[in-house]
Amino acid sequence: MNPAENIVPFHFGSPGKPLFGCYHRPAPERVRKCAVVVCQPVGHEYVNCHRALRQLASRLCDVGFPVLRFDYYGCGDSSGSAEEGRVSQWLEDTSLAISEVRRRAGLDQVCLVGLRLGGALAMIAAEHSDLESMILWDPVVSGKDYLEGLLQLQREMLRFRHKPSQGWKSKGPSEVLGFALPPLICAELEKIRLLEIARKPAKNMLVVQTEHTAAGLRSHLQQTGTQLEFQRLEAPQIWRPTADGSLLVPGLVLQSLVSWTSRTHP
Amino acid sequence: MKEEAVLFGESRSLVGMVTDPLDENGSRHKTAVILLNPGIVHRVGPGRIYVKIARALASIGFAVLRFDFSGIGDSSVRRDHLQFDKSAVLEAQEAMDWLSAARGINQFILLGGCSGATIALQTACCDLRVVGAVLMNFPLAEDEESDENQNGTNRTAGYYYWNFALFDLQSWRKLLTGKADYLSLIRVLTNQAKSKFAFSKRISREATEFQAQLRQLAERDIQLTFVYSQGDPSVDDLQEAGRNELKRLRTLGRMTLNVIPRSDHTFSSLHDHERLLQVILGRLSSMSPVRKPAYVPEEAPISRPA
Repeated sequence: MNPAENIVPFHFGSPGKPLFGCYHRPAPERVRKCAVVVCQPVGHEYVNCHRALRQLASRLCDVGFPVLRFDYYGCGDSSGSAEEGRVSQWLEDTSLAISEVRRRAGLDQVCLVGLRLGGALAMIAAEHSDLESMILWDPVVSGKDYLEGLLQLQREMLRFRHKPSQGWKSKGPSEVLGFALPPLICAELEKIRLLEIARKPAKNMLVVQTEHTAAGLRSHLQQTGTQLEFQRLEAPQIWRPTADGSLLVPGLVLQSLVSWTSRTHP
Repeated sequence: MKEEAVLFGESRSLVGMVTDPLDENGSRHKTAVILLNPGIVHRVGPGRIYVKIARALASIGFAVLRFDFSGIGDSSVRRDHLQFDKSAVLEAQEAMDWLSAARGINQFILLGGCSGATIALQTACCDLRVVGAVLMNFPLAEDEESDENQNGTNRTAGYYYWNFALFDLQSWRKLLTGKADYLSLIRVLTNQAKSKFAFSKRISREATEFQAQLRQLAERDIQLTFVYSQGDPSVDDLQEAGRNELKRLRTLGRMTLNVIPRSDHTFSSLHDHERLLQVILGRLSSMSPVRKPAYVPEEAPISRPA
């Protein structure tokens, strides 16, 4: 990591709904011509992945990329509560983050890096942005499957908890590990289907997968005409809760992402 | 309530978020609250509970600073190779320095979960500016055997068996009709027994140090609030190790021990959040009353004698 690491924490966006961002500013003599926006996951996955994505941003910055990590509305340090979060809002936030990094870095070229739901949001947001490149790291391909996975996790968590004598079953799942999951978000999540996006998301794309769940994504992206590189890596699925509460940083994945970004934007 | 991202510390490499009460001209506490990382989770906390705590405290007039210790979250790694237990105390003091300079506040309440609670107590012992501490699931000692013998799932499951399933008719019915997960049950209970034996051999050293800390704090006008989730084994260690000193502090009206029923180590449900907030708001608003807490919990927490 760069000894003179230059991180600027700040708020941006509308005064009524300020978003938190962390801008990683590279040394002036090594700035590349492309800035990076990191689209994080949400809920407990956001917490579990924060450490790895922060390190990814530092590594990208070390090799000359200006990087913006940001929190969606109702997530992390941004304003709003989890109950107020909406997919439509998060897409607007992603567009705002792209504009913000362009302004701060003084660059037009942008690469979006999205992990899990952040990957899906990056892909959808790209329909309205002219992007140079995009990295999808284990993206959520089907919102319905993603939602089912969340609810399964919550059921597993409840297995060893005391059940109140009445009412707890009839209320239905409205949260996952302390993060609210109101019906409006569920309905929006269910509509996410990356395989139905026909437009080319970016000129260059890297898809990194550490699990086997995204059948069809590779061939679908190839049909969009993007210059696609697909990597299947043996690495932990860092968004999942660990038994001892540790936060995993998969060096192999980070190295691969930095290497691809550096090659794509020399 | 308004929030501001800040950089502070000797090399301006500690990243924090200040949550200020909205009404700068209105009533405001002369004491600020500082939230210390729970383990290696960054300053939003598990389930974003630190954000909720900060905003709730700001709503009753406190300025609150959440920040990341060096090497955690967004804060950079230190270059001086100082051990974490020393650097974290120094950085908690730097957080106080920053609030003094930026907000003109010179009294502080430290709040931390798990290892954050340990740092809060250590800082309270060495810095007179600390007038209160909220210690959530304060671990008397690190359970070094936990990685091998007793991971988080085992611990949660063990407490579920002992505290709930043992008294639940449906659980007994499953056990007696062959529907229980016997393998899991045996593994959890065996690991618990092993860990308990190994842990108890080491805990006397930690207990002596803990008693000394409590004696030192009893000489000062400081309020200690211990909050535990019901499923956390540390609450028994605390009462065992701090027995007389805790009683003394309680008699002096400077200590409370609260156990949140049916919660787990990270208070990982919205229901847990509500009850945790109620304890914290109730306690802190009584220390320096300005306005009444906005939260009305569904279920009151249990207050236990030390």
